Amino acid sequence: MSGEGASAGAGSQVALVTGGYDHTIKLWQAHSGVCLRTMQHPDSQVNDLEISPNGQTVAACGYQHIRTYDLASANPDPVLNYEGVVKNVSRVGFQENGQWMYTGGEDCTARIWDIRIGHPFQCQRIFQVPAPVNAVVLHPDQSQIMVGGQSGIIHIWDLKTDHNEQLIPEAETSIQDIAIDPEGKMMAAVNNKGNCYVWSLGGSPPRPVPRKHLQAHKKYALRCKFSYDSTMLVTTSGDCSARVWRTSDWSLMRELRHETQRWVWDAAFTLDSRYLFTGSSDSYARLWDLEKGTLEREYCGHQKPITALAFRDQAV
Amino acid sequence: MATYDNKAWLLKNVRDAFIATDDTGLCEIVMAGEDFSKIFQNKALEERKRERDKIFYEPSTSRGKDTGTDDDEDRDLVTRFDPYPDMEDSDEDEPCPSYPRFTDEMAHRQRSNTAQWLDKKELALKKAAKIKVVKWEDPVSPLTPEQMAEVFAKIEVKKPEKKKSLLAEQLENCPDLPHRQYLEYAKFDGTAQLGLPIKSFKIFMTVIPEKHQNYPLIVCVIANAKIKDLIGFTCYKYSIDHPEVTLGSVHDYGLCIAEDDGEVDWAFPCLDNNEPCSKFGFTCLGLIDIKRKENIVHCPIPYDLNSAFQCFPKASVSGQSHVNTSRQNTGGSDTSEIIKAMNTVSEGNKGIGHQLSIDASQDKLYRVQLLHKVRANTPVQLGITLDTVEVVPLVTNKHAFWARPKYFLHSINSVAWCQILEAKSNKTIFRIVYSPTHDTAFNDRNATVNVSSYTNTIYKKHDFETEHDTARKIVEKVNTILDLRNSPCRREYKMVKEKKLQTRRSFHTKHLS
Repeated sequence: MSGEGASAGAGSQVALVTGGYDHTIKLWQAHSGVCLRTMQHPDSQVNDLEISPNGQTVAACGYQHIRTYDLASANPDPVLNYEGVVKNVSRVGFQENGQWMYTGGEDCTARIWDIRIGHPFQCQRIFQVPAPVNAVVLHPDQSQIMVGGQSGIIHIWDLKTDHNEQLIPEAETSIQDIAIDPEGKMMAAVNNKGNCYVWSLGGSPPRPVPRKHLQAHKKYALRCKFSYDSTMLVTTSGDCSARVWRTSDWSLMRELRHETQRWVWDAAFTLDSRYLFTGSSDSYARLWDLEKGTLEREYCGHQKPITALAFRDQAV
Repeated sequence: MATYDNKAWLLKNVRDAFIATDDTGLCEIVMAGEDFSKIFQNKALEERKRERDKIFYEPSTSRGKDTGTDDDEDRDLVTRFDPYPDMEDSDEDEPCPSYPRFTDEMAHRQRSNTAQWLDKKELALKKAAKIKVVKWEDPVSPLTPEQMAEVFAKIEVKKPEKKKSLLAEQLENCPDLPHRQYLEYAKFDGTAQLGLPIKSFKIFMTVIPEKHQNYPLIVCVIANAKIKDLIGFTCYKYSIDHPEVTLGSVHDYGLCIAEDDGEVDWAFPCLDNNEPCSKFGFTCLGLIDIKRKENIVHCPIPYDLNSAFQCFPKASVSGQSHVNTSRQNTGGSDTSEIIKAMNTVSEGNKGIGHQLSIDASQDKLYRVQLLHKVRANTPVQLGITLDTVEVVPLVTNKHAFWARPKYFLHSINSVAWCQILEAKSNKTIFRIVYSPTHDTAFNDRNATVNVSSYTNTIYKKHDFETEHDTARKIVEKVNTILDLRNSPCRREYKMVKEKKLQTRRSFHTKHLS
């Protein structure tokens, strides 16, 4: 199996990675649904997964650690272990050209980690906010980081100037996730009341302008993500569904439900925006055809809820 | 040894010695919950409490006393359950341990727990050494504008072009997946779990066409998977490896005990679907079709039992391993009855026709021990009838699978020899020699057995052990039947024996001359 794993996970190929409460991270052959490898994520659930820009490694964050795993080898252990955070790390992401990694966590900080090797200067940065951080996202222009958390405030942290701006979409709520579309023109945030707020970013001057408020779910929302072509926004929720919205008119395009599906923790689009992966508390990940609204694949192997997934597609 | 007069102390030390010197950990399991020293300690505490209560509730001036001195009081009150003072204090770090410490020169001494622990530690360290740890460092000095520009430069966002997804293409090329129907069992994959106890099995796939059956499927599941999950996972794994072979529903299959070579013990019932597979000691199993098994079990005997003795009430022969309780162990003069019966048949011209209706008591059952070369003896029920010799394992504890008892049923015509081997002080060992080839050849009872083929005949044996009397009775009985039937198998065996003796004799004579 490890041989297959090496070929399926190696850099350029398609890779689906899931992680959750069972302290494991699984690499899947996305088209067949077969689990290729299982990696160990000791002592903690997986809060977020992100595949590095070169596709070689996957970063997983959990309690007090950010670990990176080699996708190309059969090594079940992490290769790098980033330490020094005292609480849960809730989100992890990479700068586009792999110079640094960003994280946010319950220690009320967002951090920039220098991941370059043998560089003359270090570029660590730390950004303190008043409440535990649930969501961190990097603007596609690679110079701003949006930080959202339990206070319900979204901080826009300009990395170059260190200035920051604040947005408060709804009082006394907790921001659960933030997303920016690949064109950098829209920003969406979901909160624990199931509401979704959308801003336009493309204006001049480039300030966020409120654009839409969606009652996306009746319960706790968990994630939001834009499709690669920016035509869709998916929101996932504790109401056991994922909903796909058209960004053109904010109408509901699909509601993705399954009789056994429980909380939907994470989602990822394919490159052609035709398919969507979801990961759920019923320990299954699923692949949905958004055009047909059908369930295409199920990924079974986790013993406990899947709370994070990462998908890397390849263009043909 | 003045200190050894205390029962509690002795108990504690004997117990500690067992636990400390037993690397298998079995002692601790066996003795769990029976720590008498602790029980004594608790009793001492109770007694002390009672004593103290007595003091408190006696009308005295001590009534309003400060309760803060309870601890001191506890020490002052000595009860009959008290071991040596402060026994519990010496529980952990005994400066001079009272249990024997064995040196490593002792033969077969296992590695000590400490050594094993050190090994584990070392392994973990080695593993950790491969993981590079990066500690967070707070930025020491602010970055220069040049450095800022280098790392945090603003990139112009381009509108992503429309791309075709490789995954979409792969999905189109792979529309139908046979393993999907077993997908729910994928989570029992033991190789995909870390930190959970797992169990590996060799599964022989008897349900697939024979040409694919040449090797067993190795499956590894988590130990708490049930047998039905193991069946499902086996189907899942097989259908991934061999998508061209169609398997049926999981509910149609069962798992039976099998030999290393893939031979399935059809006589045994399938393993219970709802039991966790950690319960079973077997590693070789056969995946079987339940319907096929039913057919086989209903006609388990390949040879024809309706011999010349068909006028006798035949024992109800069943292929199942359960013990037929309607038949009882019997004592009494078995052999005489058989002789009577035999006489009735073989010398039927005597005209004692009424004796044909011999009762079933000739069909005797004995509880004996089946001896194995390496393993412990297993209790079996040896059934001897005029037609068959049946060995039914008596598994009193159905989970005692380490013994792996097997069911045998031999036609009497395949039994060649029976004799007492050895008489011990309280038990006698006897042997039954049989030929499996005759068991199968027996199907065609008209075929003339080629006597010259005896050199190729394989003889196997069962050795049993039981009380002197019973052993003698059994041997006598079997030999009586054998002599009366005088089957080709027995004749051949006798010839081989004779020949062996002759060669030995001639060897001797040659040497002597």
